[in-house]
Amino acid sequence: MIEFTHVYKSYDKNYILRDLSFNIYKGEFVFITGPSGAGKTTTMKMVIAMEKPTHGQINVFNEDISAIQPKQIPFLRRKIGFVFQDFKLLINRTVFQNVALGLEISGVSGSIITKNVTEILKAVELYQTKDEYPLSLSGGEQQRVAIARALVQNPSVLIADEPTGNLDFETASIIIDILKSFNNKGTTMIIATHDKTLIELGRARVIDITKN
Amino acid sequence: MISQKINYLNNYFKIAFLNIKSNIAGNIFALSIMSFSFFIMLFFMLSYINIYNYMLSFEKNNTMIIFLKNTNNKNSEEAHFNKVRFNRIIASNIINKIKKFKGVKKVKYYSNKLSYKFMIKHTPKIKSILAKIKPAYFPKIIKIYFNSNYISKIYLSNIYLRLKSMRHIKFVYYSKLMEDRINQFIFFTKIIGFIVLMFLFISSVFVSYSAIKLIILRKQNDIEILKLIGATNNYIKIPMYIESGIGSVFAFILSLILLFAIFNIFIYYRFNNFLAFFKINIIFLSSFDVFIIFFVALLSGILGTYFSSRKFF
Ligand SMILES: Nc1ncnc2c1ncn2[C@@H]1O[C@H](COP(=O)(O)OP(=O)(O)OP(=O)(O)O)[C@@H](O)[C@H]1O
Ligand SMILES: [Mg+2]
Repeated sequence: MIEFTHVYKSYDKNYILRDLSFNIYKGEFVFITGPSGAGKTTTMKMVIAMEKPTHGQINVFNEDISAIQPKQIPFLRRKIGFVFQDFKLLINRTVFQNVALGLEISGVSGSIITKNVTEILKAVELYQTKDEYPLSLSGGEQQRVAIARALVQNPSVLIADEPTGNLDFETASIIIDILKSFNNKGTTMIIATHDKTLIELGRARVIDITKN
Repeated sequence: MISQKINYLNNYFKIAFLNIKSNIAGNIFALSIMSFSFFIMLFFMLSYINIYNYMLSFEKNNTMIIFLKNTNNKNSEEAHFNKVRFNRIIASNIINKIKKFKGVKKVKYYSNKLSYKFMIKHTPKIKSILAKIKPAYFPKIIKIYFNSNYISKIYLSNIYLRLKSMRHIKFVYYSKLMEDRINQFIFFTKIIGFIVLMFLFISSVFVSYSAIKLIILRKQNDIEILKLIGATNNYIKIPMYIESGIGSVFAFILSLILLFAIFNIFIYYRFNNFLAFFKINIIFLSSFDVFIIFFVALLSGILGTYFSSRKFF
């Protein structure tokens, strides 16, 4: 489903990824790991064409995305849920409106948006805060809003960049449970983390980008 | 598919209105500048249309008017009597000469008194003012009516020159002469009007450009996030086009209302009496003229958005 073959990535001739190759299959739950600054975020960004590889080929849904047309990028991104390390929530929109964004940009009707957003907010246990603004929420709650926004379009792949970044163990395990439950329903999960305890908690395949 | 389009449209309008609401002060500022420039555009159009309309009235008119010189003014009864007779003789001499010209249909003489009566009859609104003036102060006029197939410009200017050189004639006035002068005048108003219109057009493009640019700069972060979760360029741009469209339509309506109000107040309640004296008929813009300026207004809004959103995506 997602296939990196001999991918190199440099910023100003400074290579951060060298000869990275891996495969992620449909329905998998995968950790991408490596120390801070190793290039995890960069690797994930290349999947949704936020960054281009310097060399090598990346196939997503059997399509070479290093040759993707700019016009096709939005449609690729709609198929992949992405939870950003810094959440990227819109601070002037409520929790509900933030989660609804993904559906709005796909042209889904208002009633279906209400139904799906309500459903996903209940699944991440945030329904009671639906009318609050992101900045009034705790870090763990913001994280779950970001996850809900990525999942509401029912993507076949969810990429989460440090989804338990600086959360305590309790909150982290709640989030892992949520991700696992969606994985069980068929969503491919790709989690970037440098957190060893999280990897132990998840008990899944680990791709270490420094050892490829 | 259609329902999806409707959902999108619904969304675009929602976003556009949110954008407008989020920057009321800036939008009102942009709106007022734009309506000011549209107002001047409309005003130019109105002036041009009226000059043109005035000129058209000459084309239907094949007359020539001769103003005779007033003879020395003495106040005694006898002098007055002599004067009247003297005037008649002069007038009939001139009329006889005119009647020999080719193409003359009818010649009519108005003495001071007759032209006084003529004025009172045709400008009833200023009757009270006219009543205070002595008939002797009114001009003596000879009015020539031509056959319509004799009114070529060269022919008329020929007659004009001959009449002008005659004794006792103060000046000669005819429609085609005025038409030429107005044509010249229109030529200049056209050029100046065009320059002013271009200037106003560019300035309103610039106003809508900066209004939209401001939104883009303020929402840059939001726009980036939207693009990351799969928003197309259209999804981001269309609401901006809608917004500037709404803005320019609003500004246009405002300027039109303003012009209409000023037109009515100023022209009808203050100047109509005065203008009736010259038999000038002031008209308002036709719906076609309004449409042209409307189109220009809308175009300036759309172009402004185009230029401001081009760099970003
Ligand atoms: N746009 C950029 N321009 C230049 N250098 C960049 C850019 N983005 C990332 N880098 C560099 O690339 C390296 C990898 O960054 P990246 O964010 O992928 O690391 P990471 O593994 O996600 O780290 P963390 O665990 O802290 O999130 C860093 O050294 C960073 O400074
Ligand atoms: Mg990172």
